[in-house]
Amino acid sequence: MFFLHNLERRVLLHPSYFGKNMTELVTTKLVKDVEGTCTGDYYIIAIMDTFDLSEGRILPGSGMAEFTVGYRAVVWRPFKGEVVDAICTSVNQHGFFSNAGPLSIFVSTHSIPPDIQYDANATPPQFTNHSDIVIEPGTHVRIKIMGLRTGVGEMFAIGKIDGDYLGYS
Amino acid sequence: MGKTKTIRLGNRLRYPITIVRLLKNPGDTVKKQDALMEYSFKWYKEVGDTIRGETWEEEQTTYADWSSPSDGTLNAWSIKEGQVIKQDGPCVLIDEDCSHEIQFQGLCAICGKDMTEANWAAETRDTERAPISMVHDQTNLTVSSTHAQKSERELQKRLLESRKLSLVVDLDQTVIQACIDPTVGEWMKDPTNPNYDSVKNVKTFQLDDGPHAVVRKCWYYIKMRPGLEGFLKRISTMYELHVYTMGTRAYAQNVARVIDPEKKLFGNRVISRDENGNMYSKSLQRLFPVSTNMVVIIDDRSDVWPHNRPNLVKVTPYEFFKGIGDINASFLPKRQDLLTSAPSTNGVKKAEKPADKNAKAVATGKDTDEVTKEQLEEQQSALEKQINERPLQLLQEKQDKEDEEAEKATGHSDDSASSRSSSPPPQRHKVLLDDDRELEFLEKHLTQLHKAYYASYDQKKSKRTIGEDVPDVGNLLNNLKAKVLRGHQIALSGVLPQNTDIYRSEIGQQITSFGARLRSTVSKEVTHLVVNTSQPGTAKLNAARRYPHIKVVGLEWLAQCFTEWTSVDETPYLYFKEDANNVGAARQAEESSDDNDEDMGGIETGNTAPRTPQQKMNKLQIQLPPRGDDQDDDDADDDEDGLLPDEVEEGQMSPIDGLKTFNWGSAEDELAEFLASGSDDDDDDEDMDEEDEEDDEDFAPPDESESSSSSEESSASRKRSRSRSGSPATRKRKLEDDVGDGEEDGNNDDEGEENSPAKRMRRMKSARGSSLRHQYEAAPDLPTPAVTGDEDGVEDKVEEEGQNFTDLDEEALAADLEAEFAADLEAEFNSA
Repeated sequence: MFFLHNLERRVLLHPSYFGKNMTELVTTKLVKDVEGTCTGDYYIIAIMDTFDLSEGRILPGSGMAEFTVGYRAVVWRPFKGEVVDAICTSVNQHGFFSNAGPLSIFVSTHSIPPDIQYDANATPPQFTNHSDIVIEPGTHVRIKIMGLRTGVGEMFAIGKIDGDYLGYS
Repeated sequence: MGKTKTIRLGNRLRYPITIVRLLKNPGDTVKKQDALMEYSFKWYKEVGDTIRGETWEEEQTTYADWSSPSDGTLNAWSIKEGQVIKQDGPCVLIDEDCSHEIQFQGLCAICGKDMTEANWAAETRDTERAPISMVHDQTNLTVSSTHAQKSERELQKRLLESRKLSLVVDLDQTVIQACIDPTVGEWMKDPTNPNYDSVKNVKTFQLDDGPHAVVRKCWYYIKMRPGLEGFLKRISTMYELHVYTMGTRAYAQNVARVIDPEKKLFGNRVISRDENGNMYSKSLQRLFPVSTNMVVIIDDRSDVWPHNRPNLVKVTPYEFFKGIGDINASFLPKRQDLLTSAPSTNGVKKAEKPADKNAKAVATGKDTDEVTKEQLEEQQSALEKQINERPLQLLQEKQDKEDEEAEKATGHSDDSASSRSSSPPPQRHKVLLDDDRELEFLEKHLTQLHKAYYASYDQKKSKRTIGEDVPDVGNLLNNLKAKVLRGHQIALSGVLPQNTDIYRSEIGQQITSFGARLRSTVSKEVTHLVVNTSQPGTAKLNAARRYPHIKVVGLEWLAQCFTEWTSVDETPYLYFKEDANNVGAARQAEESSDDNDEDMGGIETGNTAPRTPQQKMNKLQIQLPPRGDDQDDDDADDDEDGLLPDEVEEGQMSPIDGLKTFNWGSAEDELAEFLASGSDDDDDDEDMDEEDEEDDEDFAPPDESESSSSSEESSASRKRSRSRSGSPATRKRKLEDDVGDGEEDGNNDDEGEENSPAKRMRRMKSARGSSLRHQYEAAPDLPTPAVTGDEDGVEDKVEEEGQNFTDLDEEALAADLEAEFAADLEAEFNSA
């Protein structure tokens, strides 16, 4: 699910950048540092705007200036039970992997409708019901997230496509 | 899911325990950490005043709950209330909701639960339920062994239905060769370059997987083995193909794209070192954890498959970019098979170094991560080196220079040159030749194997003995291979370093796997002596001369046999070229006149003596009777002990020609007596050691001792070299001579007169006898320089007598040579 989230971050600026357009530089650096990262619980998709840019404080020793910036960002936090659209990336005999944006989701054969079978003889290997449904790398699938695990800076999910309105789309 | 699991009490309880109450009944839903039953145990507590020391033990009874280690429905109890249990045993049956058989990154892929949670109620972690990683492109997807079995059964069924087998294909130097030398790119753009034709079909791709600036974004040049496309196409009808490489994932995928652009052959069955989980070896169990009965491997290295040798079809390494070797081999141990002693000019040597480090790390128990990092860096630097130094360009420049010189020498353009290089300036030779035929044979073998497999399968099936079992392709492969050289008995000479266990060496194992028997020494049973033509070991060659039926062949013969899986015709590979080319002529020359024979002998002992061992051996061969001669065969049969050299029959110059006038009977008696005394054996060994040392010390250019081959000159030159080599050696030599003399004197105390002919004779005989005995008894497989020590003493005597025992001298030379080669070989191996 997507949220608008107010966050705060300390940005360090090298002394060579000290000048009149410092605030702009700080914002650029913030965007560069933060956008597209995963905190462990959610992904920061995009920064909307910044506010409360503090005064710079020179850090003793390094000479870097530290700014505290408040910003509003679009974040995506996948939830258990959430239905997402994903793109299949790789297929094997145990199931298939797919990506919903930055999140890697694995769907096992146990969570695939029984009529959709693994076909190893196809090139490339695919899951298919031998009529209209073919799941191979590149296919769009609608997946319900069954489980989530967060690591340091990364998240993994288990999904299923056996359910109403799930699967091949 | 409803999978019933028997749960044990666990060995963490304080047995004996008494079951007090069962809290749940069969049919109840249980959750992890739910209390299932109550039990009690008795223990002793120390009570009283610990300060005064007035303590006693009091029995206590404690009640505790026993919690469920997993979720599910309680199926049945194996215990009763009131029961006393003395040790760990089954407690309860639980129908589990999920048996967590497939896990992805610590999540159960079936129920979505987090498996990494540690729990006090369970003795094992849930992640251990799915320990097997069997997917090509992922390491973090793991399955349980039952699930692995299930999916492999499916695979097996599918393969049997389509009558296929699995074939695991190695990339580097098996089906392709890669190189990153930018020279190749330049050659490809330059039609005037002599190598333009060769590199025309080289495929390229750019990879960005190096942390260093130089290697970043570097171009890879991929040369496919000739005929690869057709080979894969035809083979893929019989085999399901997998790629298994030690390159990185990106590299593997790019190469797979090059050789299989439509992904029809390999599909997604590509595994690289990123997913392998082991930097040093490959394992079929990574892909086929349960059964490898239907899997064949083709690889150019067998040492990387430590556990899957039976399934391996070894391929001759493909070396198109000369001296580049395998760019991904820096983690692997050094190549052991000497069959293709391709000179590693530049990149390879460098790249091979880390392997030693690896071995060291294993020995010292150094942190493997650290080593891996080091090795990565080493590989990077090796790659950088290739880019910067451009070994191929150097090679071509060298070739050009040679061509120029050759041209200068001949004065006009060489015809063979123009025929070999088809590009405009025909004077330039190209260094890259595309003349590999390995895949033709490989295809034949794989087809044969496939046929044999399904023949055996159909046979089994018709007998209805087939259940879950299918024939093992490893056995069939072994049978096929074992037919190849059956009946051959092969000895090696100059192929392996001294003190190697030939039976465990790579080449030895290969010889044995092809059905031949490996012999450490040359004896009557040996049918083939395989020599390293660049470094022949003289002693065994000499020994082989005594048996005309032994075919002395170069290593290339063996390589060709391994490639073609037949016992190929030895003729082109015979070590003694006269034999191969000139059998009739040589025979005629030998038979035509005695003069001629004398001349040959003259050549043998003359001042125009050969300079290289090769030439020398060729010269020696002139004395050998040609093969297939009936008379000689008879001789060989008569001469069962191999004591009588064949040369005598030919009436040629022989070491014992001078002895023809002697009374052989008495000489034999004396010899027997001398042999029986056996007192000189130990001394011999000592002599040998000393001789070895000396040879190491005063290592002289070979031609110094060889150029003069008449006995006087030879010994004179030897003395010269000795005196030059400094006093310690000289002293040692003197000492040795003294010892030798004393020993002989000691043996001959009762003989009395010093100059009696019989004594002289015996001295010569003793020397002769010891060398013969050495061969007869098939003593250590490498020559004993001790012979030299003995013979030196004799030689001096011979000189005094003024007789011409060329053969003794020759043997001395040969032994000297041998020692030199051994030293060279050893030095090389130590430095490598």
